[in-house]
Amino acid sequence: MLDYLKYTVSTVILAATTAGLWIGGVYVWLGLGVLLGVLGLDAFLKPDHSIRDQRYPWLYDAVVAFNMALGFALICQYAYLVGQDHFVTTSSAVGAFVTMMFVQFVVTAPALHEMFHRENTGLRWYGRIGQVLIFDPWREITHVVTHHMAVATPYDPDYARRGDTLYGHLFRTFRKQIVESYHLEKTMWTKRGRAWWDPRNGWVQRAAMLVGFTAILLACGGAYGALLAIGVCLLGPRLFLEVFNYCQHYGLVTGTPGRFEKRHTWNHLTPFVRILALEITNHAGHHEDSYKPFYGLIPDPTGPKQPQFLMCVLLAFVPPLWFMMIRPLLKHWDEHYATQQERELARAENLRAGWVDERIDQSSRFTLPPMAMAR
Amino acid sequence: MITDNPAAPAADGGRTSTCRIRLNGSDEQFDVARNDLLLLSAIGQGIDYPHNCRVGVCGRCKTRLLQGRISPMVDFALSPLTNEELKDGYILACQAKVRTDLLIDVQLGTQAILPVSMVASRVVRWRRLPGEVIDLRLQLESPLMFNAGQYVTIAASGSFVRRSYSICDAPPDPSGEGAREIGLMIKRLPGGEFSEWLFAEDRTGTRIWVEGPFGMMGIDDEPRDGLCVAGGTGLAPVLSIASDRLARHQATTFTIVLGLRSQQDAFADSYLEALQRLYPTRLRVLRILSHEPADSNWSGLRGLVTAALDDALGVDYRAVSAFVCGSLPMVEAVERVLLRQGVPASRIHADKFLPSR
Repeated sequence: MLDYLKYTVSTVILAATTAGLWIGGVYVWLGLGVLLGVLGLDAFLKPDHSIRDQRYPWLYDAVVAFNMALGFALICQYAYLVGQDHFVTTSSAVGAFVTMMFVQFVVTAPALHEMFHRENTGLRWYGRIGQVLIFDPWREITHVVTHHMAVATPYDPDYARRGDTLYGHLFRTFRKQIVESYHLEKTMWTKRGRAWWDPRNGWVQRAAMLVGFTAILLACGGAYGALLAIGVCLLGPRLFLEVFNYCQHYGLVTGTPGRFEKRHTWNHLTPFVRILALEITNHAGHHEDSYKPFYGLIPDPTGPKQPQFLMCVLLAFVPPLWFMMIRPLLKHWDEHYATQQERELARAENLRAGWVDERIDQSSRFTLPPMAMAR
Repeated sequence: MITDNPAAPAADGGRTSTCRIRLNGSDEQFDVARNDLLLLSAIGQGIDYPHNCRVGVCGRCKTRLLQGRISPMVDFALSPLTNEELKDGYILACQAKVRTDLLIDVQLGTQAILPVSMVASRVVRWRRLPGEVIDLRLQLESPLMFNAGQYVTIAASGSFVRRSYSICDAPPDPSGEGAREIGLMIKRLPGGEFSEWLFAEDRTGTRIWVEGPFGMMGIDDEPRDGLCVAGGTGLAPVLSIASDRLARHQATTFTIVLGLRSQQDAFADSYLEALQRLYPTRLRVLRILSHEPADSNWSGLRGLVTAALDDALGVDYRAVSAFVCGSLPMVEAVERVLLRQGVPASRIHADKFLPSR
């Protein structure tokens, strides 16, 4: 039964956040404090390779669905409280905003991601609608189609190449995602012989969701409340999803695009990160079968791993520290996981990044072609 | 392939980790691990499932799903399936994760599929041909077995850019170890990442990764006279098929109709002449030019390649096997004409390619 209860840690954090915001003052930090406390404790724990109990899968789904509903209620509550001038001091206003950003990212975003990957129509639509919480209901299409098909290649908008800083990655990934989602949506409405504005088109339905969500926020908190709530969605879960992608796929390369192998993604398997992120940091399993529910993912103890998740996210914001951490890991990946073809790709990527490649075999008889550097 | 007791469902009513795939109107069936991709699992078992690109682009693995449930890896509206086909229950086997026992409608072939391998190679011939085509010859570090008309995917060492090209050589002796070299014909595509790179300078000595073989254009066809219709470098698989069948089947004749823009684009004369020298009475080659200036000295056929496929061609359309390769619109147009002329649909083998930048 403990396996099922584990995922209520997210419920506790959401409840603490709700209570803290409601009380106001210094208590607005309560949710963030609990979250950081859990993640801080997690940093000292050993990786958890256990497999979840599978007897009552509906229990897991019920907890996650409830948490996502709580996340929705929380953003409405936040908009309402802002509209009521509840956060009277700058400290409490900033605290409420920052707490909302991180709680919505760590707790709510994994829930909607989990749901929109599901085969069950009801759960999938629940996840699709849930994307309003990242204020980007179009995120699903580039994720499910492009990201999962082209992972570990520059054709994946979510992918950061060796040498890319987080800031450059954020600029590129948003631009690429917009272009790609337009391309995919247009392909679909063209194929089905529909006009671009046809209400049956996915993008139109998603636009309607966003309008509906904005209207709810406006009703809860007026213009200012809605504005700050949308700011939370965009600067919190939406932005940090890309920080997550930056970390989880950084620099890995594939010689067989479209055919995922477990070595093609990083993993974070510490106990609370697994729980809070709904096993998405058990990333290889998710990419191996993106329809598989989070409780069915089996940790790969031998796969590529990064240090604790929170530390990676923080390091990502300081590029020199990030490179100090990631380069030895990539070198290890090149030597222990990559195929010969992938080693050649990795070497080209290292050169492109301007990294001194200690592994270059000087007796090698071939030279890298210019195109390896070009793309 | 399992053929016993075709009516028996997989144990446990389809809830076990294995799903049974039954073929409509046939006693053929096979098992697939639940959640595996239908096509990949089938060809992994050596089943001759129709396919070509394996990544949802060519539509060759189109299958009608009559019973059971699959999960598509991508929305099939992003595939070559038409809206009508989507409504009629067609899926692409290469993109279908099997979730339950299935009843499907698809015509399997009868030959074992060759295993796909990744082989390193080096460019041993890089030669510019007319019509902005490169004759590329690769020496393989390990032998590769392939069938006539198949293609490989290649990528320069250290590059993410991968492109697929048909092999123009006749296949190696099936009883031998495989080919040590393969030849490809690569047309320059303006702005194309790979072809522009290849054209920029002599790439002799460059290391290239080769993955294959893929595709199955006409692998399972019976020996009979052939009509090949190629547009530009679509000639490559046609050369492979014609060379192979003319060598293996002494009584067969082949007609190759090659569509080019103008005389300036005649990139394959040396290949075709060499083949004609080998089979002077059994091979006929017709070139048809679509953009040749009206006042030029060209006395041959003019127009689109479909214009050559009339009664004057002197082919018994109902008796031939047809092999068509070229751009998607060209292949679709040729298929329509061939069907109108009486070529049975089952004997039209097509390789449609979409230029990729």
